Amino acid sequence: MNKHAMDVDTAETLAGVVRLIRQAAVLAWAAADRAAAGSAAQLFALGVDLAADQARHLVPDGADIDGPVPVGDEPAGLLRSAELLLRRLAPRAVWEAVDDLRATVAELVWEANTGVGG
Amino acid sequence: MSAGDGRTVAELLDDSDGLAREALLDMSADRALGMVRGWPQLMRSTAELWAVLPPDPTVSASADPIAILAVMGRAVDRGLGVGHWPGRGSRDEAWEQIASNFVQARRLLEEQPAGSKAVSTDGQIGLTTLKTHTLHALYIAAHATTVALTGYQRDLRHRLEVGARRRQPFTERPTALEVESAGAMIARFDAIEQLTAGSLAARRMDAANEPATGRRRPAMRLDAALAAWEIQSHRTLANHPDPADLVRVARVQALIATATVVVGEAAARRGEIDAGVIDRLSPTLENAQLAWSRSARRWAELTTPASRTDPALVEAAGQLRAAIRAAVANQTGWATPDEIAGRIDLPTTAMTLHRSLLAGVELAYVTREIAADHPGLAAPARVIAMRVQGEAEVAIEQGETRFEGVRWVTTQQLATNQVIPLPEPARRGLVNAATDVAAATNQAVAAAAHLSPAEQAPRERADRARRVGRVAREREIPVRHPNRGGRPR
Repeated sequence: MNKHAMDVDTAETLAGVVRLIRQAAVLAWAAADRAAAGSAAQLFALGVDLAADQARHLVPDGADIDGPVPVGDEPAGLLRSAELLLRRLAPRAVWEAVDDLRATVAELVWEANTGVGG
Repeated sequence: MSAGDGRTVAELLDDSDGLAREALLDMSADRALGMVRGWPQLMRSTAELWAVLPPDPTVSASADPIAILAVMGRAVDRGLGVGHWPGRGSRDEAWEQIASNFVQARRLLEEQPAGSKAVSTDGQIGLTTLKTHTLHALYIAAHATTVALTGYQRDLRHRLEVGARRRQPFTERPTALEVESAGAMIARFDAIEQLTAGSLAARRMDAANEPATGRRRPAMRLDAALAAWEIQSHRTLANHPDPADLVRVARVQALIATATVVVGEAAARRGEIDAGVIDRLSPTLENAQLAWSRSARRWAELTTPASRTDPALVEAAGQLRAAIRAAVANQTGWATPDEIAGRIDLPTTAMTLHRSLLAGVELAYVTREIAADHPGLAAPARVIAMRVQGEAEVAIEQGETRFEGVRWVTTQQLATNQVIPLPEPARRGLVNAATDVAAATNQAVAAAAHLSPAEQAPRERADRARRVGRVAREREIPVRHPNRGGRPR
C-alpha cells in the first residue's frame, strides 16, 4: 500500500480503527489479567494486540493517532465498530493490507463472540 | 565395537544431554570455574564429532555454528593458558564425561556405517537427528555454565561487600577485578549459548520446511513458529527496540509459558508424561507467565499513541499465536487433552516448548539490560513523573541518597506530556520486573529439565528410567554427590 498517497479522511479513519482496536486490547488484557493464570483469554488478547499493531502500520507517518478513547465495555463491540469502519473504507481503498486487517478483525469478533475472549 | 563401552551413538548423546541437564538443575556456583575450564575440551570433542557427521543439505548454513563455536572455545583455552581468569585448574567432571562421550561417538561413527546398530539400537536415528542432539547437549551445557557463572559472580559480590564491611584483610576477600572478570566470562558464555540456541532454532525451522502430514503438521508449524519467534525477538531487541516491542515480547513469552502448561497437563492426563513432573512444573510456569505479564504492563506504560511495534516482530508473533491456537485451542478456549493429542505429539511438543523456555531465559536478561541502560528508551513525561516519584521514594527509603531533591521532569515537559529519555529511577521498576522474569523463567526451566520424552517412557527404556528415578530421588534429598563415579555407565 502506498501510504504517502493516502487522503486525509482515510488516514483519520484508520487512526480511528487503531484507537478502537487498542481500546479493545486494553479491555481484553484487563479480562485476561483478571482471569486465573493460564487463561485462554490471553490468546485472544494477544490477537487483538497484533491487530492493533497491524492497523498502526497502515497509518502514515505524521498522521495523528491521538484522539478520544472509544467508549465501550466489551472488546467485541469495539472490534465490531473497527470492522465496520474498515468495511466503509474498503470500497474507496481496496488495498490488500486493509482487507487483511478486516479479515483479522472479523476473526477476532468471532473469537470474542464464541467465548475465548468474551 | 572397539570404541567404548557398548553404548550406541544415540545413547552417548542422550547421556550427554542428561548430564548437561543435571548440571543446569544443580545450578551450583561451585561448579562454575570447572565448567569454564572444561569448556575448551568439550568444544573440541564436539567439533571433532561434528566433522565426521556428513553435511545436511536440508539445514541452512546459519544452522551450522560449530566452526565459530570451536574458535570461541579455543579463545577461552588460550586465555586460560596465559593465566586469564579463572586460570588453569580442575575441570568439571560432567563436562569431561560429555567430552569423552563425544570422542566415543566419533570413533563409533568412523568405524561403523550410518544406520548400523552402533548408531542406535533400532537403527531409526538419522545423522541429522544426531547433529541436533549434539547441538542440544551443547546448548544446555552452555546455559548451565552461564547460570553457574552468574551464581558465582553473585557470591563474589556478596563476599566482597561483606569483606569490606567487616574490614577483612584484602587477601581474604575477592577483588573487584574478579567480579568484573566473572561478568566478562558470563558475557562470553551468553554469546556461546545464544549462538547454539539460534542454530538449534534454525535447524528446527529448516526441518519444518519438509512436508508433514497428519498430527505432525501442527506440531511442526508450532516448532517453526517458535524458532522464528526466538530469532526475531532477539533481532528486534538488538536493534533500537521501542517499548511497544518489549510489551509484545513479554506478552508472547507469557503465552508460551501458558501453552507449555496446557501441553504438559494434557500429556500428564493422558499418561504420556509423568504427572509428578508436571505437578512441579506447572506452578513455576504460571509464575513465569505472571512475571512476564507484569513486565508487559510496566513496558506498556511507556508506549505512546504513536508507538509502532516492529513489523517483523508482529509477523513472527502472529505466526506463533496462530500455531499455538491450531495446536492447543478450540472455539471456546483451551482444547481438551484428547483433542490436543489428536493434533500433536504431546511429549515432543512439550520438549519443543521447553527449549523455547530456555531461549526465554536469555530474552529475560536481554530485557533487563535494555531496561538498565538502553540509551534510546523514552516515555511520556507524565508517566515518567509518576514512576520516578514512586521509585525514588523507595530508593530513598533503602538509603539511596542520589535521588533526593532531584527534579526529573520539568513543568513544561509535564504540560505538553513530552516524550523524554527515561531517567535512572524510572528504569528501576523495569529492571526489577525483568529480574523477576529471569528468576521465574530460570525456575521453570529447571523444573522442566525432566520433560525429555526419553525420560518419560519407562516402559521402553527401563534402564534409563531407573537412572532418572534415582537421580530424582537424589534431588529430593539435600545432599551433594560430588563424585559421579557411581553413575551407571
